[in-house]
Amino acid sequence: MAEALVVRGLSKRFGGLRAVHDLSFSVQEGQTVALIGPNGAGKTTSFNLITGYYRPDAGSALAFGHELVGLYPYDVCARGLARTFQVARPFGRMTVLANVMTGALLRDKRVAAARERALKAIDFVGLSAKEASPARDLSTIDQRRLEVARALATEPRLLLLDEAMAGLNHTEIDQAVGLVRQLSQRGLTIVIVEHVMRAIMAVAQHIVVLDHGQKIAEGSPKEIAANPEVIRAYLGTGGGH
Amino acid sequence: MVSNAFAIDILIRVFLFAFIGVAWNLLGGYAQQLSLGHAAYFGLGAYTSTLLLIRAGVSPWIGMAAGGVVAAAASLPIGALCFRLRGPYFAIATIGTAQTLMLLFLKFRDFAWGAVGTTIPNLGNAPLMMQFTAKAAYYYVALALLALGLAVTSWVERSWLGYYLVAVGEDQHAAEAVGVNVPRIKRDIYLISAFLTGLAGTFYTQYIYFIDPNTAFSFNISVEAALVSIVGGIGTLWGPVLGAVVLEPASALAQSWLGGGAHAGVQLALYAVILIAVILWRPTGLLGALTAVYARVVRAAPAGVPGTGRPVRKGLPLDG
Repeated sequence: MAEALVVRGLSKRFGGLRAVHDLSFSVQEGQTVALIGPNGAGKTTSFNLITGYYRPDAGSALAFGHELVGLYPYDVCARGLARTFQVARPFGRMTVLANVMTGALLRDKRVAAARERALKAIDFVGLSAKEASPARDLSTIDQRRLEVARALATEPRLLLLDEAMAGLNHTEIDQAVGLVRQLSQRGLTIVIVEHVMRAIMAVAQHIVVLDHGQKIAEGSPKEIAANPEVIRAYLGTGGGH
Repeated sequence: MVSNAFAIDILIRVFLFAFIGVAWNLLGGYAQQLSLGHAAYFGLGAYTSTLLLIRAGVSPWIGMAAGGVVAAAASLPIGALCFRLRGPYFAIATIGTAQTLMLLFLKFRDFAWGAVGTTIPNLGNAPLMMQFTAKAAYYYVALALLALGLAVTSWVERSWLGYYLVAVGEDQHAAEAVGVNVPRIKRDIYLISAFLTGLAGTFYTQYIYFIDPNTAFSFNISVEAALVSIVGGIGTLWGPVLGAVVLEPASALAQSWLGGGAHAGVQLALYAVILIAVILWRPTGLLGALTAVYARVVRAAPAGVPGTGRPVRKGLPLDG
């Protein structure tokens, strides 16, 4: 299997705080990898470094063989990496359809073609009934669905999901897990930041654990669940669902 | 005859400021980049055509296109500087650009007549030189400009650019995440907006037969460009037109009743009151208010957003 994403020595400081320090991990094509760790461990910062929202102080991130460091977020997206945000950021004034069409326009500037592909993405996440609603009216889970649809419409090869399941109830988490699995089965490579352990164990083939900006462990879900350092740093601090 | 000329003059002002508002709305309405410096492009358009006319005898029709190009070109460095700033800081910086241009034209007398300005040589009825004895002719030119502005906006609304503009206006980070090159989109729409505003400057100078830095780069122009759009409904095709239809006659009447010279601030005070009223009670502008009323009267069920009293906006990028 080829490597979809290779992160090497990625570091970022905010003043005196080492938000991410010397982080390295890689993601194989078609794999679903989870990035876990307590609050403030540097998971979202890592996403922001990989997707061009922050400039790293050091390190590199190669996606499908191309360097991402130095690229702007829109170039990263054009390279085939789509992301969602921890707090969903829909274009509130636009309808669901228009939101997703905006994503679809990346690969084809014809509005009619974008509309067709947007409708497919909306159908895939199960939002078809609300395609004409203004995005600001959606519930939390629907806003998350919308963000996934909008990201999918850009036709990514690698999808980065930032806490897509936070704040969802058990039924909704099951639905979200089903969605991630379906995406994975379609061949999409996925990196997921998540707190909900149940969901992580259900979708991830490989887990990278961060604490205080550093990688403290990585391995299969089974290995991670049994790792004493992980239990102390993460599961022991009230994160076990 | 006098009242008729007065009515035509008001209509020309309505069309002209509707056109300037439409040009402003592309950047300020759809992309929500609140510029208060569009007088810069109005003035550059006015001076370009006038300089070409007086120094080289070039027809203002050609001068108008040249003025648009000069304005568009000027928007590149101005945008590169101002777009580094967000929100109110962007607005303040744009005010500075128009004021700076005004000072430059006041200072360099040899280049463009300085503070005294110049009159446009009267050639009688010379349509090829954009001069007409019949006032109605100006009316049609202004109407044609407005039609051009609306056609451009309508194209933008229906194309990918419209979706990208609204996305930039809503959330720049989220827009970048789906591949929107935000700096380029802002630059391009500013270019188009400045080009159209430059055309308006040429027309206005030809219409009043006079140019000086204080008229051409007047802060009032910048304010009215934004005001007609905000009052009528920003980010909508017809909003600036509706705003101009309401504001221009109101300001002309207020000036003629109260006397422009003795009460110089009356017009701005009136604008301030209208602007505050709109922002307080109808943030979607008059068009938003009308749409809500229409929805209530025509359809039994309100088409608006439940619980907010806000109507769903018209326009393709918004309602799919």
